Amino acid sequence: MFAEQGDNRSRIKSICIYSVLTVCCIVFGYIETLIPTALIAPGIKLGLANSVALMLIIFGDIKGAVLVNTARILLSAVLFGSLFSLLFSLCAGTASVAVCILVAKSKSVSAVGISIAGAVTHNTVQTAIAFFVLNKGVLFYLPILIISAIISGFVIAVISILVSKKLKSILSF
Amino acid sequence: MILKLKKGDIIVIIVAVCLFVFSVSLCFLLKKSGKQVRVYENNKLIFEGSLFSDTEIKLSHNLVAIKNGKVYMKKSDCKNQICVKTGMIENSRECIVCLPNKVIIEVE
Ligand SMILES: [Zn+2]
Repeated sequence: MFAEQGDNRSRIKSICIYSVLTVCCIVFGYIETLIPTALIAPGIKLGLANSVALMLIIFGDIKGAVLVNTARILLSAVLFGSLFSLLFSLCAGTASVAVCILVAKSKSVSAVGISIAGAVTHNTVQTAIAFFVLNKGVLFYLPILIISAIISGFVIAVISILVSKKLKSILSF
Repeated sequence: MILKLKKGDIIVIIVAVCLFVFSVSLCFLLKKSGKQVRVYENNKLIFEGSLFSDTEIKLSHNLVAIKNGKVYMKKSDCKNQICVKTGMIENSRECIVCLPNKVIIEVE
């Protein structure tokens, strides 16, 4: 969407926009740690940061979505996480964006479907890794994690649709 | 109306709900047919329960703990402390023995 034209001005603009979006993701990620959703079950999050990648997918900017998402995961791991949490979020985050992109290819899916598919993938992959790496007991969290993914996926989709309407004029040329 | 659910969205939601039902039945299976923990003291069965429901069992000289799908001897007043050093077990036919206090923990 942004960088294809090859001229310098649009390249600079796209670098700026991606940077700002990545920083937004990291701030969202930090805000989320202040909301004690993990009390319900470990791993439950609203996933506000995903709204940014989702918005880019809504705009059809697949490359940007992958770029911002990967940058977000690497940077938050460096800032707040450990190598271990990086493994978790990198696997789950990448799988989730991949599924979002696949689902988005279908013309009959709106942002709601894309978002829910991504959220459910994220939580399922994360539980699967924990199941094999940590312990088998985490399997009992899977049902509640799937339900919470459906709900938060829906909420994130609504937020993304609302915000993308406002941002459309800024983000496009 | 900002939200227009399309056919694909309904399919995604149905798949997600199926995944939920699948995971619930998986949990049910694991809990039901899943591994049992048995604790014996002086050859008498003191405790029998699932490896997947966290609990602690107090015996006269020992404290057994079940946590996160594993069982271990948390405390023991025996001299050699071999039972405590055995660590956590989770697989079938594994066991922890405290000979001085005649305590056996087994997973099956
Ligand atoms: Zn002992």
